[in-house]
Amino acid sequence: MSDHLTSSVLNSLADGELSAEPLASAQEHLAGCPACTSNALSQMMLKQATAKAGQRYAAPQQLLERISRQAAQEGQQLQGSRSRTAPRAAGRFGVLGWAAAAALVLVCVSGVLLQRRAQRTATASAEYGALITEVSDQHIATLAANAPPQVLSSDRHTVKPWFQGKIPFSFNLPENLPADTRLDGANLTYLHNQPVAQLLYSIGRHRVSVFVEGRAGAIRGNDLAAEYSGFHVRGFRTEDLEVVAVSDVDASRLSGLVSLIEQSQTGSQAK
Amino acid sequence: MKLLPWKSTARESGPQTSVFEDLAVPLFPSLYNVAHWLTRNATDAEDLVQETYLKALRGFTSFEPGSNFKAWIFRILRNTYLTSRSGLAAMRTVALEDELDQRNESGPALYPEGAIDRQTPEVNLIRLGNEAALQAAMEHLTAPLLEVILLCDVEEMKYKEIAIVLDVPIGTVMSRIARARMALRRELQSPLAPSTEVLA
Repeated sequence: MSDHLTSSVLNSLADGELSAEPLASAQEHLAGCPACTSNALSQMMLKQATAKAGQRYAAPQQLLERISRQAAQEGQQLQGSRSRTAPRAAGRFGVLGWAAAAALVLVCVSGVLLQRRAQRTATASAEYGALITEVSDQHIATLAANAPPQVLSSDRHTVKPWFQGKIPFSFNLPENLPADTRLDGANLTYLHNQPVAQLLYSIGRHRVSVFVEGRAGAIRGNDLAAEYSGFHVRGFRTEDLEVVAVSDVDASRLSGLVSLIEQSQTGSQAK
Repeated sequence: MKLLPWKSTARESGPQTSVFEDLAVPLFPSLYNVAHWLTRNATDAEDLVQETYLKALRGFTSFEPGSNFKAWIFRILRNTYLTSRSGLAAMRTVALEDELDQRNESGPALYPEGAIDRQTPEVNLIRLGNEAALQAAMEHLTAPLLEVILLCDVEEMKYKEIAIVLDVPIGTVMSRIARARMALRRELQSPLAPSTEVLA
């Protein structure tokens, strides 16, 4: 037994911390030792599961706002203390000097504003793409896992309350679904490190994932429509929520389900 | 894009603050998550994150550009937590093994073979897929083991970075990680661990 990999080596292996030589040695051992291979796999699964379970608490938006106010005050105080020496030098500038400085500042500010606008557009586009990729990947992973939902019920009065205390927002589910559309259940999952509700529907034999997340300063447009690896992605935003649905079902039927979910948020009959 | 209030006002406060916010704001969810795990309640976590941010902003001039900002601000979070009443109490439980590790000049302690669970029961694997069971197991970890597992697995920090945050040798980081995972396994194998939740 003394030839088996130690717990230290197994942990370092799972954490990607083994250097080349010990890694080669460990891999050689694993090739001929089913017990250690099983342990290494188990260690990696534990690490993966811990990583997911550990992302448990979403920061409240009002906290960031509170901190932002205090940080802004701090920043101004810091800036104020630094600029107290500036007036001494001010008198040395002539009118022309100030005019030149003002012109320079205007040019710089314009340049910076244009650059920032371009950056924001690029950021919005990147976030949009990242969201589509992430929800599609999660949907594919759900299909591949073929596991029962964390809450297994077709009753919206069971599914919705299940999320109480698990996510920092609430949402409504549509009462009347089309004949071939069924609520299968839901999972608590994560999108960009925030807890979200993953509602699982079936339209005919097609599975649909609907991700509902609390909206926190989202920068995307109101309606989302995209295609990703053969999947249709549709979504909408309300004042408090961002909802994105993914499926390989016909796009119009997916849009129909999304529309029903949207109506249930506002209570309106049609949009 | 509507800027966060902090971002819009802080930019007016100077380039130093702007650089700080660009580095710090993306880490806000991670800091809050770790803070909540450590303090075990939302109010204390909010206070901890707030204090951490303000301390980091004030001390940002001491931060070396190009060095590891994440490790730097997490170290501030951890030190701030340590100085709180709950942090002081929780961290008193730093295990005796740490002291033994520090005395051991040959590196991290290696656990005897008998200490490694070589069985992988099916029920254990099922529970690994059950977030509630794993979260319950994590709640039972002592603060030193919980923080190291959060930094390593959730924040995906390297041992070297964790050693900076915790201000301990890398060998101690390794032994704490090993102990934390062993404790998690024990909790998951416990018959009292919650099973998969299915509502009909």
